[in-house]
Formats: sequence, C-alpha cells, structure tokens
Amino acid sequence: MIEIDGKEIGDLSSFNTEKIKSDLLTLNMGPQHPATHGVLRVEIKTDSEIIAEATPYLGYLHRCFEKHVENVDYRGVIPFVDRMDYLGAMGMEWGYSLTIEKMLGTEVPRRAEYIRVLVAELQRIAGHLLFFGTYAIDLGAFSPFLYAFDEREKILRFFEELSGARLLYNYVWIGGVWNDITDDQLRRIKKFIDNFDEELKVFHSLVGENKIFIERTANVGIVSEEMAYQYGATGPVLRGSGIDWDLRKKRPYGIYEEFDFDVQVGRGEKGTLGDCWDRYDVRVREMHESVKIVRQCLEGIEEGSIMGKVPKVLKVPEGEIYMRTECPRGELGYHLVSDGGKTPYRLKVKSSCFTHVSMLPEMAPGQMVADFVASIGSIDIVLGEVDR
Amino acid sequence: MSGLTPDISEYATRESMVHQEELTFGKWLGNIWKAVSTCFKGMMITGKYIVARKPVTIEYPEVREELPANSRSRLFNDVDNCIACLQCAAACPVDCIYITATRRDKEAPKLKTDDGTPLKLDLKQYTIDTALCCYCGLCTTVCPTECLTHTTDYEFAQYTLGEMKYDYLAEDIRAWKHRVRG
Repeated sequence: MIEIDGKEIGDLSSFNTEKIKSDLLTLNMGPQHPATHGVLRVEIKTDSEIIAEATPYLGYLHRCFEKHVENVDYRGVIPFVDRMDYLGAMGMEWGYSLTIEKMLGTEVPRRAEYIRVLVAELQRIAGHLLFFGTYAIDLGAFSPFLYAFDEREKILRFFEELSGARLLYNYVWIGGVWNDITDDQLRRIKKFIDNFDEELKVFHSLVGENKIFIERTANVGIVSEEMAYQYGATGPVLRGSGIDWDLRKKRPYGIYEEFDFDVQVGRGEKGTLGDCWDRYDVRVREMHESVKIVRQCLEGIEEGSIMGKVPKVLKVPEGEIYMRTECPRGELGYHLVSDGGKTPYRLKVKSSCFTHVSMLPEMAPGQMVADFVASIGSIDIVLGEVDR
Repeated sequence: MSGLTPDISEYATRESMVHQEELTFGKWLGNIWKAVSTCFKGMMITGKYIVARKPVTIEYPEVREELPANSRSRLFNDVDNCIACLQCAAACPVDCIYITATRRDKEAPKLKTDDGTPLKLDLKQYTIDTALCCYCGLCTTVCPTECLTHTTDYEFAQYTLGEMKYDYLAEDIRAWKHRVRG
C-alpha cells in the first residue's frame, strides 16, 4: 500500500511486475572517444551496465590506400605505407620493401639488414610503450603514460636523427635503407637500451603488479585458444592466448634466424589464460626480448654499403607474391600483383588490427562497459591500419 | 522482479569460462593488503619521479627546440641552381610540385650552376604546394644539383591554404638562401 500525506493512492500488490519487460539501451561509443583509440565507432546495446551486443563500425579513416597506390610508382608507395600503422611505420616499410625485393631478386647488404632489424625492434619497443601508456590511461592511471612517453621520446628522437621524421619515416627503402647509422648513434642506443631494461622493470612493477590493475584486467576479455585460431588473430593477441607463434622464429625473414631470443606466450598467471592481463604481460615481456635483439644487433653490425643494386626506373616483373612480417601489432601481409609496369597492378594488405577488431562482438556480450574499454585497449588497434 | 533486473546469463558470456575460487576471510584480508601495498609501491615510484627527475617538457614559445640537421621540414629550392629537370615533380607521390620552364635563348649569356652544370632552360615557375606536401623527402633525394633541400624550419602556419603555396622565384623566398639555417 502506498501512502502520500496519509492518503492511500494505490495498491502495488495488484500490479504485476512480471509483465514489465526491460529494454536494451543503444549507446554509441566513439568515433571521437579517447577510449576507442582513434576513430572506431562501436554501437553497443546495454542492459543497464552490461553489454548485450556490440557492433564495430569502420571506415572513418579510410583513405583509399589500395586503389591509390595503383597510380604511384613503387618507390612512392613507401610514404603511403607509413600511414597505415603510423605507430609502427618501420615494420610497415620493411614488409613492403621485402615484398618488392623478393619479386626483383635483390640482395640486401648485410649492414642494411642489421639496421633494419635494429630500427624494427626499436619501433616495436616504441609501439608497445605507447600501448603501455594508453592502456594505463584507459584504466584510469595517468602517470605511467607520461613515464612511457618519456622513454618513447628518446627512440623517436633517434629515428628523427636517422631518417628526418618522427613518425612517418620513409626510411626502409627497396634494396636497403636511406641513411647510414653513425658510431655515435650506435653508442647512444647502447646507453639507452642499458637504461631502458631497468626502467621497464620499474614500469611493470608500477602498473602490471598493481592490485587495482590486476582486478581490472585479469579474467576480463578472455580470448580462448580456439577463438584466437578461428578469428585468425596474430601477434601479441595470439601469443597472449598461449599459442607459440611468431613469424620471426617460425618463418624467419631478413636475418632474424641469426638472433637468439625467446617467443613470449601468455601464462594465465593472474587469471584465466588469454585475458587482458596476459596480453599486457606478453607485450611487456616482448619489449625485454626486443632489447635482447637490439643488443645483439649492436654487437654484430657490420661495415659495408647500405643500398643494394636496384634499377633506377623500377619495374617489377610480372607475377604475384604474398609476403608477411611480424609487426608490433601482429602479422602484416602484402599481396602484390604486378603486370610488369612501373606501378603495382594490385596491392592488397592483410592487416592484423582488422582481424582483431572483428573479435570485439564476441568479446563484448556479458561484459561491463568499463571492461569493454579494457578489452578494446588490450587488443591495441591502430585505426589507420584497420581502415587503410 | 525478473523483468526489471538484468540477467547476465541471457547473453553469451565468456566470463563463464572463469573458475573463481571462493572468497575466504583470509583471502579478503590478503586482497586488501595487496591493494594497499602495491598502490604504496606505485606511489613510491611516482614520488621518485617527482624528486629525482628533471623536467623534460620544453616551454615552447619561450624555448624553441632545435631539430636535428637531418630533419625533414619546410622545403627550400635554390632556384639559381635549379636546372628544371622535373625529376622532383616526377618522384613526388602526391604531385605537389609545379614547374614551368622555357628553352634558353642561344644568344643569351651562358649560365652555370654552382656545381658546373650548364643551364639549358629558363625557370618560369617553381611552386610547391606545402599544404599537399607529405614531407616524405623523395624529391630531395633525386635532385641532381642538390638545390632542393629540407630545412629545419617548423613554424610556418598560415591563415589560408593559398598562402601555403610557395613560389620559390619570389624575392622574399629567394632571400632565405642567405639567412642562417634553422
């Protein structure tokens, strides 16, 4: 019986709440939301705080890359390739250069190979540091972002001295690399690497071992082994689910087979195997492995030229090729079809981020909205690569 | 009241894969201790940064950063040395270099660039639309007389797009040649 000012106004016992149905609320996350890491729009249907359905919408950063490069000569494609994964541009360039070199049969000088491994691994560290910082921001910790950017800045500064740009390098060229590296620069990288190994342990103890961080990420956004296989996940997302697969080890390209490093896989230490914490952990341990590779690079680097023999007017022989490399965010594949002309006939890119985005609708149902943000952050997507 | 309260089991949930252990009083206390101790550890690290680290931020308008000599910033073409070979325009992936040149009169005095290449063409127009330019640096690598270079200027914002078009034959832009770079 409900009473207002001593007046009886109704009787709830006759009111059948069983017949009232709750409805789903459709919410729009993004495209201008910082938690979606770029211009990803996710339409989520929520039941109060719990997500019932999530649909990602793509295309806000679509720049017609694949069609556009059909009108650009082979050397001119490299600046466009940079703009796909702008946080791991060295890996993008290397993959493209490898594709063309395989078609041309060009031999790359040893020194150039070493420099390529060096910059690619430094780029991996820079990319994972950015993940580390932004993931901490997603989960509400601000200061790790600043610390990570401080370290990342040193790598970007080095790249700027080497290539002239901070993000879009245009440094790895077909047949070699653009500029030579000086002994002074090598010495400074050595100094940075020695310091960074210690610094990274501090970073990990600040974020990865924090109880609040573990509570937010452990047992959240689980990607099981089977799901990772079925969706075609690659890179740290695949390894976070406990699958030992790294192209640098399994299908070595460049001179990776000469390096001694371990492939880091998720261990399910803090929760279930394949949760957000595992993916975070794999990336942090991968940075330590990259440091190892850079160290070996600095010891083994050889003197010599940095540019192989490439014809001035580049014409790729007729044929088809698919080439894949391990980039910071996963496998990147180039499928090139050439008709023997100066420009590619077709250049299709297989992006790892795109496959990772497609996992979101399966990860989301049953999650809290805040956990969904943690899931998006943990797969570490770059929308430039998703939309191309 | 089943209609009003959300029921997680309605939606396929991956969290069902989690086998969570039962929370005992001891574990509850352990959790609190872990939360407090790890947060304290984090605060210690942050404290160390406050005390022991020098600031890395540059206070921009007052302190201007000097870019490395290799930096690819605003383009500059020294038109006195340009032989109008059009290689830069051909190499440009975004086609933002516009060049017009006419054949030089045979009677006209013979001119040479600084590195001794004879000038056979008169440059009539050399314009770069820096609003289109992607600063990839491909044009500077193909230049045979090395007259087209990247400078380390980074402050060249304009109010209109038209002002971003640099006519390198204009007197004021030619004068950049004689100033201190950077």
